Amino acid sequence: MLKSLIYKEWIKIRLVVWIALGLSLVALINIFLKVRHDILFVDAANYWYSFLFRGVVFFSILKFLPFIIGLAIAIAQYFPETVNKRIKLTFHLPVSENGVLIWMHTFGALVILTVFLVVLVLFTAGSAIFFPSNIIRASLLTMMPWFLGGMATYFLVALILLEPMWIYRGLYTAVAAGFVTVFYTGASIGAFRPVLMPLALITLLLSFVVLFSGYRFRKGEM
Amino acid sequence: MIKFSRYILVAIGILVTSIVLPSLFWTIFEKVPRSPNIFYSCITEDFIVVDGSTRKSPEGKEYTSDEYEQALPFMFYRQLMADGTMPDTIKGVKMETPSIARASSFYRYTPKRLDAPVPTLWPLLESQSGKVNLAMPEDYFRIEKRMEFIVARTNEINEEKSSLFTDALTAEGFIFPANLIAGLPTTRKSCDEGYFITDNEGSLFHVKMIKGEPYVVRIETPEKLDIVYIEAVDLRSKEYYCYVFTRNQGIFVIMDEVYDLQRLPVDGFNPAIHTFRLSADLFNKCLTILGENWYEAIAVDDMYQVVGTHGEKWEGLYERPEGEMLATLFPFETRMRDENSSFVRFYFKPSPGIRWLIFNLIALIAAVLLITRRGWSWKANIPDLLITAVTGIYGLIATQFFPNKFSKVKPPAKK
Repeated sequence: MLKSLIYKEWIKIRLVVWIALGLSLVALINIFLKVRHDILFVDAANYWYSFLFRGVVFFSILKFLPFIIGLAIAIAQYFPETVNKRIKLTFHLPVSENGVLIWMHTFGALVILTVFLVVLVLFTAGSAIFFPSNIIRASLLTMMPWFLGGMATYFLVALILLEPMWIYRGLYTAVAAGFVTVFYTGASIGAFRPVLMPLALITLLLSFVVLFSGYRFRKGEM
Repeated sequence: MIKFSRYILVAIGILVTSIVLPSLFWTIFEKVPRSPNIFYSCITEDFIVVDGSTRKSPEGKEYTSDEYEQALPFMFYRQLMADGTMPDTIKGVKMETPSIARASSFYRYTPKRLDAPVPTLWPLLESQSGKVNLAMPEDYFRIEKRMEFIVARTNEINEEKSSLFTDALTAEGFIFPANLIAGLPTTRKSCDEGYFITDNEGSLFHVKMIKGEPYVVRIETPEKLDIVYIEAVDLRSKEYYCYVFTRNQGIFVIMDEVYDLQRLPVDGFNPAIHTFRLSADLFNKCLTILGENWYEAIAVDDMYQVVGTHGEKWEGLYERPEGEMLATLFPFETRMRDENSSFVRFYFKPSPGIRWLIFNLIALIAAVLLITRRGWSWKANIPDLLITAVTGIYGLIATQFFPNKFSKVKPPAKK
């Protein structure tokens, strides 16, 4: 049962996942080709200088990628369920209603996490060719809120999509937009360091919130 | 579990509204805060307070534009020379453009610099290349377990240079890793003085490179200093190398070549919350510490002896009408940024006083009315009412956005 359930989720999101991976790969290739090109033109020492002392970020193209991935996977996974209230079929399976939703959500979150990890690992590997660990560490620190923001977006969009009433969808969207903005606040390199742990904790807690609109959906809130 | 998920959402709702609503409030009502500039005039031997477009003496006498320029001949010497009103001598010293320009300097420190992400790689320039222009090196150094130079072109460590400098530091008693590294990583300066570095035990060192060789000096301090921030400067007068800020032992400058630490006579300076300004001329230095709603200016002569002080205090943020209004509407506000830090954090700012209790009460009454109208059970809504009572309008909004419909709804009473 669980295997079939997960397979059903995979069918829904696989196209989006491959597109997300493809896009990320293109973005990463773009980043490192540009770094290589710029280093040839301005010399590596000057390139390092602009990162260290002028705050020029060479990976800014990655900023909204996690947000888009989180959004796209959430829509691919949960929007079909809201068409004709199809998720009700899932809730009729001989499994606890919460349990089903938790499994679906965990699977989606793990897939996104995997995509993000692939991007981060490839980024680190690529950076290691051109930069010392100090610059890589600072870069990862700067990117971390963007990736956490992608996870938070997934959790919040799932909440919004499963909510049965349009008015509340609007209200949730307002709160979600306000919260996701926090992750994408413009900041200098490494400025998010003290707030990363609290943000990670809140994002982890957000993984539960889909249960709320799932419950409202089940109870037929109108 | 489902109820728990709702409280997470309510908490997020409170967090978001406590960021958004006060920020909206400030966008509409915020006024430019007072931030006067204070100078010391060697002509009137008194302070001049410049606040917006007004220039006044501490007694409140207003200066015209001409009087102002004449009172500060070193700041406006080019204008005064053009007007032909520049005195030939002041206090018996002949006025010459090069010496005036050499002695003039301005410096400004804000707490944002202390609480900020810092680079961990630095370029070490050659101090005596024999060339007129300074040149950027091809490598960057870091001081962790040892001092390492990484060549940018190859992204590899220059082992030979690294051990040369590590040994030189160790010989002077440097305890790795470095705590603070301060220098001027630019070629746009008059000369290179390398870096001022504190080691893991807080001892202070001067490190530069002379003809490819390390130059390391351990700087003796009169007492153990808790140094939190150093800023190197490139003064034309070559009077001192850098400013040294300590947690609560004041501000020092390190005198050029002799490495004597000169304490600046500013008492009660807290680098975490106060701004520091310095303006220097041929005769005096004017030091100013600024708090949120006060300043204290100290004028010293060229021997750092105090020749005058002047201070002022004005109404603080929460004493002004807009601040009072905020403290009435909201029990607290959350900000992602703070004027005293370059880091992003959740800055929680409780409103002073108890006026916000009135608005919290109004929010609570609104919550009670909504529950009554919908015929919801009281028992199930006690936590929501408590949340609204404590967080006021934020709690009211958050609990309404994420409705508490877990209990059975009472059917409307039939007539």
